[in-house]
Amino acid sequence: MVEIKNLTKQYGQITAVNNISFTANKNEILGFLGPNGAGKSTTMNMIVGYLPPTSGQILIDGMSMNENPKEVKKKIGYLPELPPLYLDMKVIEYLKFVAGIKEVPKSEREHQVARALSRLKITDMRKRVIKNLSKGYRQRVGFAQALIGDPQVLILDEPTVGLDPNQTMEVRNLINMLRKDHTIIFSSHILQEVSAVCDRIVIIDKGQIKAVDTKENLTGAAEGDIVYILKVEGECKSVEAVLKKISGIKNIMEVNYVDEKTSEFKIELEAEDVRKEIISEMLENDMSIIEIKKMTMSLEDVFASYTRGRSYSGLATEEIDDDKK
Amino acid sequence: MFALFKKEVQSYFYSPLAYVISALFVLIYSLSFITWITSLEKLNLQFSFAAIFYDQFFYFIFLIPMLTMKTFAEERRANTEVLLMSTPLNVFKIVMGKFLAIGLVFFMIMALTFLYPLITTMYGEVRWGSLICGYLGFFLWGMGCVAVGMLVSSFTENQIIAAIFGEAAMLLLFFMDGFSQIQWMQNKPVLSSLLSAVSPKVRFEGFATGVFRLSDMVFYILFITVFLAWTMISVEKRRWNRG
Repeated sequence: MVEIKNLTKQYGQITAVNNISFTANKNEILGFLGPNGAGKSTTMNMIVGYLPPTSGQILIDGMSMNENPKEVKKKIGYLPELPPLYLDMKVIEYLKFVAGIKEVPKSEREHQVARALSRLKITDMRKRVIKNLSKGYRQRVGFAQALIGDPQVLILDEPTVGLDPNQTMEVRNLINMLRKDHTIIFSSHILQEVSAVCDRIVIIDKGQIKAVDTKENLTGAAEGDIVYILKVEGECKSVEAVLKKISGIKNIMEVNYVDEKTSEFKIELEAEDVRKEIISEMLENDMSIIEIKKMTMSLEDVFASYTRGRSYSGLATEEIDDDKK
Repeated sequence: MFALFKKEVQSYFYSPLAYVISALFVLIYSLSFITWITSLEKLNLQFSFAAIFYDQFFYFIFLIPMLTMKTFAEERRANTEVLLMSTPLNVFKIVMGKFLAIGLVFFMIMALTFLYPLITTMYGEVRWGSLICGYLGFFLWGMGCVAVGMLVSSFTENQIIAAIFGEAAMLLLFFMDGFSQIQWMQNKPVLSSLLSAVSPKVRFEGFATGVFRLSDMVFYILFITVFLAWTMISVEKRRWNRG
């Protein structure tokens, strides 16, 4: 439904989006996940035809924005990061205006406006002037605007920012309800949100795509790794020195200082058996284990590992190296 | 496009803006009218309504940037430009929709002053031909100023800046004619005649004295077209340069 091919956007010297490609299939919810400034909004602005791309192609339902902007734009509903509202207008006037500029046939306008109002639960607010509404309601009016014209593709840029937890849930439910007959691309920097509603996830960072896959595969790929959290009574340095001797440990991912006598490690093992070796080695060195538990990778870890680079070795290592010198 | 046109016209009446501008406009007209008719006997000349426009021209066009300042600046600041651009409207329709809307508002404001000729017919004689001609000329000149004001508004996202630079542009247009008359310019006949040829004020003289020339009308229409086209380019260009 939405095909993005080698899309690049440059602002002068800065490359905001660098050669990205991905596809959103029909009636699929695609999560667009990335830290602030990753290029999410820029990409979305290009998909809806507001920003012209420096190079690359965007196809909506097989049609290109360059060749047939009018038809393509009719297929898209867009909720930008900042809802595009005319504050002086009443909610109903605003939605009718949007129906007008989206060229919704006159006979359908009433119906579509009423449906958008009821879907966002703002029917009671329809006679209020937008500037007197709270942020949550304004966001919903913006969302209602995106639904007008019955577009097949919905592009939602951080739709839940600024909403309270209840409203966030409502928006998520709404997205779930719309999934039947819409292709939805929605961006967020909140992981639970993306993992709660999306079929597939695109992880973007610094203008580049780091991963595109289903949530299960993304976490699954990481689950192939055997990661343990080990809490030991002993100084960081000395424990790490012991751990480094064990050949079965692939990687020390994190070192946490708990207090003077206790330290916590996040370690990746080559096989489950290595666990026994660790335990015996610890006992030999008179370090008692407080806790050892297996980690299940959350989407958060996946996200962190994709956006920050895969392995992480703690500060303690460097200190040891210094001591050797 | 009609939806945008309607919304733009309404937007002037949500705030007191349109009312304040009409009030000022009528005030200028009325004061001028009063001074003219009270001094008629002394001057012993024929009074024409169009002469009011010609005489107080400067005050009238000073009001126009206040109508145009928000057109694009406000749209950009409130982030509603995205909405317009991501709907089937294209830049041509957006600019035209806004232009026609301001045109209607300007027409309504101007029509308020028509009250004076109407009252005058009850007690005296009005030469309708020359009157209509004067109003037509003033409307065309006004719309030219609107096009210029819209262009200025498309350069910035700050309404105040748009208003100030709009006024500056009005000043330039107004003094173009006078500037072509100064001594220094008289020594450069080509430059001087060129400047007075493109000066919209000179073109208004015909209309104001009740002389309708097609060339004057064509001049204004061209003037408006050029500035509207420039506005469209400016809006489109900003989309490319954004960021």
